[in-house]
Amino acid sequence: MAFLEVENVKKNFGGLVAVHDFDMTVEKGEIVGLIGPNGAGKTTLFNMIACFYPPDSGRVVFQGRDIVGMKPYQVCSLGIARTFQVTKPFLNSTVLENIMVGGFLRGSNAREARRIAMEILELLNFSDKKDAMGHEITTADQKRLELARSLATKPSLLLLDEVMAGLNPAEKVLLVDLLRRINSQGITLLTVEHDMRAVMSLCERIIVMNRGGKLVDGPPQRVANDQQAIAAYLGEEYVAT
Amino acid sequence: MTVETVVMAFVIGLMLGGLYSAISIGLSLIFGVIRVINFAQGGFLMLAAYSSFWLWKFFRIDPYLSLVIVGPLFFVFGYAVQHWLIRPIFIREKALVVEPLGALLLTVGLDLVMANLALFFFGSEYRAVVSPFAFTTISLGFLEINFTRFFVFLMAFIITGGLYLLLNNTEMGMAIRSVGQNREAAALCGINVYRTYDLSFGIGIVAVALAAASFIPFIPVSPAMGGHLGIKSFIVVVLGGLGSIPGALIGGIILGVVESVGSLFVPGTTAYILSFVLFIIILLFRPKGIMGVLGS
Amino acid sequence: MVNHRSDLTKKVGGFTKPRAPLGLWMVGAVFFLFLIIPFFVRSPYSLHIFIMVFYFAFLGTAWNLVSMAGQLSLGHAALLGIGGYTSTLLFMEWGLTPWLGMLVGACVGGIIGGIIAYPAFRLRGPYFALTSIAFAEILRLYVENTEIGPFGIPLKAAMGLLVPLRGHAPAVFQFENKEAYYYIALLMMFVAVTICYLICRSRMGFYLAAIRSDQDAGEALGINSTKYKLMAMVISSALTALGGSFYAQYFFIINPDRAMGLAMSIEIATVGVMGGWQTVLGPTIGSILLTPTSELMRAYLGGATAGLDLMIYGLLIIIVVLFLPNGINDPLMRLVRRLEAHVPKTKIRAEKDTE
Repeated sequence: MAFLEVENVKKNFGGLVAVHDFDMTVEKGEIVGLIGPNGAGKTTLFNMIACFYPPDSGRVVFQGRDIVGMKPYQVCSLGIARTFQVTKPFLNSTVLENIMVGGFLRGSNAREARRIAMEILELLNFSDKKDAMGHEITTADQKRLELARSLATKPSLLLLDEVMAGLNPAEKVLLVDLLRRINSQGITLLTVEHDMRAVMSLCERIIVMNRGGKLVDGPPQRVANDQQAIAAYLGEEYVAT
Repeated sequence: MTVETVVMAFVIGLMLGGLYSAISIGLSLIFGVIRVINFAQGGFLMLAAYSSFWLWKFFRIDPYLSLVIVGPLFFVFGYAVQHWLIRPIFIREKALVVEPLGALLLTVGLDLVMANLALFFFGSEYRAVVSPFAFTTISLGFLEINFTRFFVFLMAFIITGGLYLLLNNTEMGMAIRSVGQNREAAALCGINVYRTYDLSFGIGIVAVALAAASFIPFIPVSPAMGGHLGIKSFIVVVLGGLGSIPGALIGGIILGVVESVGSLFVPGTTAYILSFVLFIIILLFRPKGIMGVLGS
Repeated sequence: MVNHRSDLTKKVGGFTKPRAPLGLWMVGAVFFLFLIIPFFVRSPYSLHIFIMVFYFAFLGTAWNLVSMAGQLSLGHAALLGIGGYTSTLLFMEWGLTPWLGMLVGACVGGIIGGIIAYPAFRLRGPYFALTSIAFAEILRLYVENTEIGPFGIPLKAAMGLLVPLRGHAPAVFQFENKEAYYYIALLMMFVAVTICYLICRSRMGFYLAAIRSDQDAGEALGINSTKYKLMAMVISSALTALGGSFYAQYFFIINPDRAMGLAMSIEIATVGVMGGWQTVLGPTIGSILLTPTSELMRAYLGGATAGLDLMIYGLLIIIVVLFLPNGINDPLMRLVRRLEAHVPKTKIRAEKDTE
């Protein structure tokens, strides 16, 4: 039984089929990338795994449990954490307090939450900014904050939503490195991405989506050479390297 | 209980509904465009009613004629309030949509000031206009409809019609409609959103002022009237759908009819309580109201 | 330049952690002052004003818990009424001492508050406010028009309930001197503020701040927002109901118009907002500023100049909203910081190390 199993999942919005008959699995400890052209259904699938909204049919099984119909907070205590594509920091709180909010999930009191938050800050080399306000920090730092907050909930599966967006190349390299480090601590990563270079260098396995369905599912080399995947992106700027 | 009684109650309800609609349309417009729930609407209503009353008392101007004076006067008043009191909150928030608390509390404070200003200067006694039309009735078969009430009923439609023309046939109207639908996009199109807010608020207040001038022939004026009628207009607006003008029209009429016919079967205060219950039910289960333009 | 203090530390009465020593000293000093005032102030009327200050500080702090959950309630007076009516009816019909009756009232208030607020929580901003007004009005109208309620409970409609006079009877919460009420009100205020403070520093406080700031982000971090909003509401309702019992025992009368009306709800909300919305000490500060003003205005300006006091009240609200968006908190904080510049550095540094 896989760590995360998505079985035959469908989602319509009005008359639009966003995701249809989608299957995928993620093994414990993997770094899996989910890519595809705009409108492929990646975000919809992502949101369904994160339980932001439920699929119309199908199952999402996490560690043997069907999580369809659960609320995001329930799924979070089971061990699935997510970041948001457009970052949502708590603007009127400090970085430390932001992370403490995440820390309170596993920490039983403020001292515990603080300890967890400080650990995460250390891990992400973020300690220097701990007293900065949520609205004061840069975009790159906001992304780090999203990550830090989610990590504070001690997830076993971390869902990343276009976490590279808005970063310059140097920042992206740092983030890839950071994500690898996080993964080496035992956290499984599933990331939706547009940035090809990042995905190719970070992910062990890549799933390509198009028009709500799965095109390719395999290691980066195989995906890069796949005719269908390239065709799906024709007309876009993205070229598989 | 005869058919005639029920029909009579129905017609009275229609007239009452017209009154409710007339006082609520402005509120709906203001919310639809500015997204502010104007707790001071009742206060404006009351002050407009007083203005009309004093014009009658000192200058012998018939309330129906005073519409011409009260309307523009209260446009300026409304515009000024929005411009000087509410707009700064938007600017401070650096947003085109304001957090609910600020503007809400401000309008609550404003209503307090208005009601007590009136209390202080005019005293708490009721004042009534003696209208030449007070006893004129219109006959429809066995029905006798009081003209003054019918006038208000008409007024609701006139206000609605006027607004319709304004919103659909003028540049200002188009600006108002676009801001109401999507303020960011409107701003990007070069529309001065803040000025549109000012105008919309002004228009919303004119609507309620016209309603006030129209109903003083049969409703006595007092400082407390703003509160009572104000609450009614909130129920109407939620019923019809916040932001929808036809909704306010329909909602008002429905409320009027339900109250009137309802009072045949159930004592007055129970009906009043039930209108609140209806209010809550709509808020909880269909916040979009009948016309479903805007929801929560 | 005002330093934007974090929302969470702001909640600790606006005093941030490193500065806690001075802040706590000041608060402690003021509290000590309150403790000894009855020894110097003898006039019953002056004591009455203090009692009202503590009473509204209590109510404002209780109300504040709901605004910490991000909702604006303009119907809290209904809970006041529930508490007051419950304890008074229990006393009138069954002779149950209001000391216990008020606890029952608090439970009833908490339950009803929770039941009413639960469906309304998904409403944003103004919609929730409107719903709270509607609920309060429904309750008030019902009581106002009902002589005999369900189970034969005498509600006495608009006349309200008169607490049977027993003279000086501490066992049934009746005193003939103001001093007793003074200390009770002071205690209640202290309890409310302490509860609020403890909540703010705990998981619940952080979670409420998160929900206020961005509910979706909070939920993604494991926060059951409905549960926490409900907790805040229940605690707030229970405390407010407690206040209602005090009201009944202090004024010896409780009626729908004064105790359950929209005006009372607005007074409570105003006190809560003026001193600094969503901060722990804000309502207390707000009450210290507003209550004596309104009491004195009512005393000197009431009657012939009816309405003047409320007019000034309304003007105050407008001015605060326009110029002091965070209530009196901002200018007060600036003052405190300026004072702190004179505190020896060693003290502050020592506290910083113990973080």
